[in-house]
This record gives sequence, C-alpha cells and structure tokens, in this order.
Amino acid sequence: MNEQSLDRLIDALLEGDQFRAFAEVDSLRNAGIDNNQIIINGIETAMGRLDAKCTLEQFNLLEIMLVGRAVMGVIKMLYPESPPVPTRETVIVASLEGDVHDLGKNIVKTIMTARGYRVIDCGKDCPVDKLLDTAVREEAAIISISGLITSVIPMVRQVIPMARARGLTKVKVLAGGAALKQASADILNVDYVADSVFDGIRFLEDGPKGEQ
Amino acid sequence: MNSLERIKAATSFVIPDRVPVIAQVFGHAAVLAGVPIGKYVRDGDLLARCQLKALAHYGYDTVFTLMDSGVETEAVGSRLRYRSDMYPYVEHYVIADAKEMNSVAVPDPQRSGRMPEMLKAASFLRSELGNEVLITGCVLGPMTLAMQLLGPEKALFLAVDDPDLFDRVLDFAVEVAITFGLAQIEAGAHLPLIFDPSASPAVIPPRFFREFELPRLRRLFSAFKSAGSFANWLHIAGPVDPICPYYPEAGVEIANLDYCVDPLHARKILPRTCLDGNIKPLSFIEAEPADVAAESARLLELFRSQGGFILSSGCEIPPESRPENVAAMVSAPRSGR
Repeated sequence: MNEQSLDRLIDALLEGDQFRAFAEVDSLRNAGIDNNQIIINGIETAMGRLDAKCTLEQFNLLEIMLVGRAVMGVIKMLYPESPPVPTRETVIVASLEGDVHDLGKNIVKTIMTARGYRVIDCGKDCPVDKLLDTAVREEAAIISISGLITSVIPMVRQVIPMARARGLTKVKVLAGGAALKQASADILNVDYVADSVFDGIRFLEDGPKGEQ
Repeated sequence: MNSLERIKAATSFVIPDRVPVIAQVFGHAAVLAGVPIGKYVRDGDLLARCQLKALAHYGYDTVFTLMDSGVETEAVGSRLRYRSDMYPYVEHYVIADAKEMNSVAVPDPQRSGRMPEMLKAASFLRSELGNEVLITGCVLGPMTLAMQLLGPEKALFLAVDDPDLFDRVLDFAVEVAITFGLAQIEAGAHLPLIFDPSASPAVIPPRFFREFELPRLRRLFSAFKSAGSFANWLHIAGPVDPICPYYPEAGVEIANLDYCVDPLHARKILPRTCLDGNIKPLSFIEAEPADVAAESARLLELFRSQGGFILSSGCEIPPESRPENVAAMVSAPRSGR
C-alpha cells in the first residue's frame, strides 16, 4: 500500500504534475509515512529516475523545470516553516557578467537544492569578484557557472586562479550551458564541463567519468 | 552565378558553381568595423554599412539585417537594457500576466521601437546589392517571441498550466511576425529568416513543437511565400533531429543545423530540404584557421554529390570571433577542397 502510494508520488513528480504530487503526499501522510521517508523514498527516487531518463534520452529544459517545480512544492508542503537543513556541501550558482540568461542557472539551483545541496544564487550578470566574495563568505565547496554566450569564456578561465588566490584551494568549478559546453574543461580552465545538471552532480558525487 | 543564384541552385538541388557560404555574421560585423554593438543594433544605416564592409572583407553569399532577439518585444512594449559591447536584453517583460493579453497590440513596423531601423537596413542593403547577394531579414518564431514577451520561465509554465491561454500568446506572436516579416520583404529583404531557438528540443518536448509550433510555422512561411519570399528558412539551434520530420510539413526549404547535429542523419530525414550548417560556433574563437578549413572541407565532401547544401556555422558566429577563422570557412568552397 505504502509502496504503491510512493510509486504514485514518484510518477506524479516525474510527470511534473505538482497538484497530483501534493495529493499523493497527503495520502502518504494520512497513512503515517513521515517526511523523511517521503524525501528518501519518494523525492530522491524520482530524481534518480529523472537523472537516468536524461542520460538515456534527449532531455529538455521544460520537463526538468516541471519536475523541479513539483519537487520544490512538495518540499515546501513537508516543511512549511523552513526548508530542511541541507545535507550536502554549499554550491554557488551564477551566470557571469554580460550573460543575462538565467533559465539554465535556475534549473541547476532547483535540482541541486532538491538533491540536498545548500545553494547560494549569485544571479545573472554576476562579476567574478562578487562570485568569489560570496564563495569565501559562504565557505563554498563548489562553484557552478552557466553560460549561454561565448563572451564570458575569458572570465570563466579566471575563476580557478582567482579562487586559489583568495584561499579557496579546494573549491571545484563546474561549467555548463549552451555556450560553455562547446568547450573542454582545459579550454575553460575548470574542473568539469557538464552536459546537464545531472551530469554535473554525477561528477561531484562519483568523480570524473571513467573513475567510477 | 551570383550569390543569389548560387543559393537558389542549392535550395533547388541543382549543383551550383560552388557551394554557397552563409556566415551568420551579426554583431561580428560591428566588431569588424570597430563599431560598438550597442550602436549597431540601434541604427539601420550603420548596421547596413557594417554588413557591407563585412561582405567586402569576407566575400560570402548573404548579408543580414538581424539586430538581436529584443526587437519585437521592445516594439510591443518591453523595456530593454542596452549595453555598449553586447546585445541588449529584456529588463521588463511587457506581458506581466498572460490573462491581460488584450492590453497589447501588434506593433506597426513603420513606427514601433527599432523595427523602422531594421527596415531601413533592408532598404539600404537592397539598394546597394540589388539581386546579387541574398538580403536576409529576421523575425522571431512564435515560441521565442512568447518567451521574450512573458519571460522564459513564465511562458514555459504557461504552456503546461494553461495551454489555451498559451495558444493566444502564440497567435499574437504569429501576428507580430507576419506583420514585421511582410514589412521586411516590402522594404527589400529577400526573405525573413524565422529564428526560433526556444522551439528547440533542448527547450521543449518535440510534441510541443508538433502541437504549438508546427501549424504556426506553416502559417508564417505561407504568408511570407505569398508575399514573394525567396525561400522559407528556419533557424532552430540545438539537437533538432526529433523535430526535423515536421519541417517539410511546415514548409521549410532551408534548415539550419547546429554543430551537435549529424548532417548526414539530417539529410536522411530531410532528403529534399536544403541544409545549412554546421561548424561549431566556438571554433571561430578558439580554433586555428586550419581547423576551420578542415572542418569546412569535411562538410563539403559529405555533400559533394548531393547538392542542397550551404556551408555555414551551426549558429551565430560569435562577435569576438577571429576574422581569419571566418575567412577560412568562406574560402573553403573556392579552394576546391
């Protein structure tokens, strides 16, 4: 019964149907399932399946946005007063100065938040100095840069050397987005260029491809 | 053959004297002329002069009147922020709530925003080039304009949450595009390119393309063709393979292919559609001229006996591209490689 209800929640989340997901959460709670189980066996399972789907098939931003919206809605429903304490490291997300596109960055923010990361959003059109000031202040372990225009590439190249100069010796820098993913990690001078947010998360949690 | 005849041959699958080259040079023309992009996109005469200089420098087969993706939404009422060295962006979207669609009107291209400047560019280029070189105008396709009117996230969620209302936004976008496109043809453009990157399968599922976009593209291309458009040219970036099968039904005659598309796979899906592509845009900045020449030669070889091919970049040639890399692509069909 509980497994069937969880399956229904997972289906609703993967279809991006937030209202059906809310109804399933109500059913689960009425059946005595606690928030922690809903998160672990419902949301995390759904995110894992979305990751697998995005790996196997051509994915699109809209479907990921819909799942992200439903997941965030469920989390808010479970924790109406304040969000659950993040279980993973702090990541700074941004689009760099000159780049005013933030659709991709916002998707990264949603999915990484749902995954348990503490996400700080530096917004779009963000100078590298502001990005790094925030990374130092928030003790970030990860910086994730989305880029839709090639003119940010010289700035992307500066992020790691400037971060090292500020004492961020271990921060990992990821890049993604239509413009940046045309380039290699060497060209961009970053740790990894991700095809998608899920690809980036796999790099962070499992290591570089081929080392898994 | 002149450039226009060469492109006509390619779209008709007649083997041209050489494969035509379309370098998607927009802001790069300003950079090449030492003009700030912020000025280039606001002054039709200046834009046309920069395009002519770039044409003289490179010797490719098409000039563009394209400014940026904010022209239509600004004309409808969005507020843009202009920058010196980059394209402007929307600071305030004109439609805060799609339920208030009735409060916006289709702009008059002769009076609204920068539309008159773009028409001026088309007239200037036509008076200078006549029917020697393809003069390409541009309208935003319905999906991209919807996102430019509402904001991308709001528009995408609306497509799912209230498809009927989203239909109304798209219908409005089509009216804007038809009115603007016809004015461009009237002013001297040989065709208005339909630029719709947001209709890419990277952004929306292919079924959305079929349901929302396909009937509207058909309407747009039909209207342009009736007004004498030279060819129906569609530009959608990203991995378009899943939507290519719909192109013939939409009336597409030239299909742009981004770098991530296998051109031979696209040819299998579109045996009678002229393809243009698909050198990686970043390579115009990062690669060496020999690399661009080699990639151009590879593409020319793929299509050597087939016709129906225009050598081009997969998407815009970035403004900061190295001129020698653009030249390497342009010279490839002439070098006989």
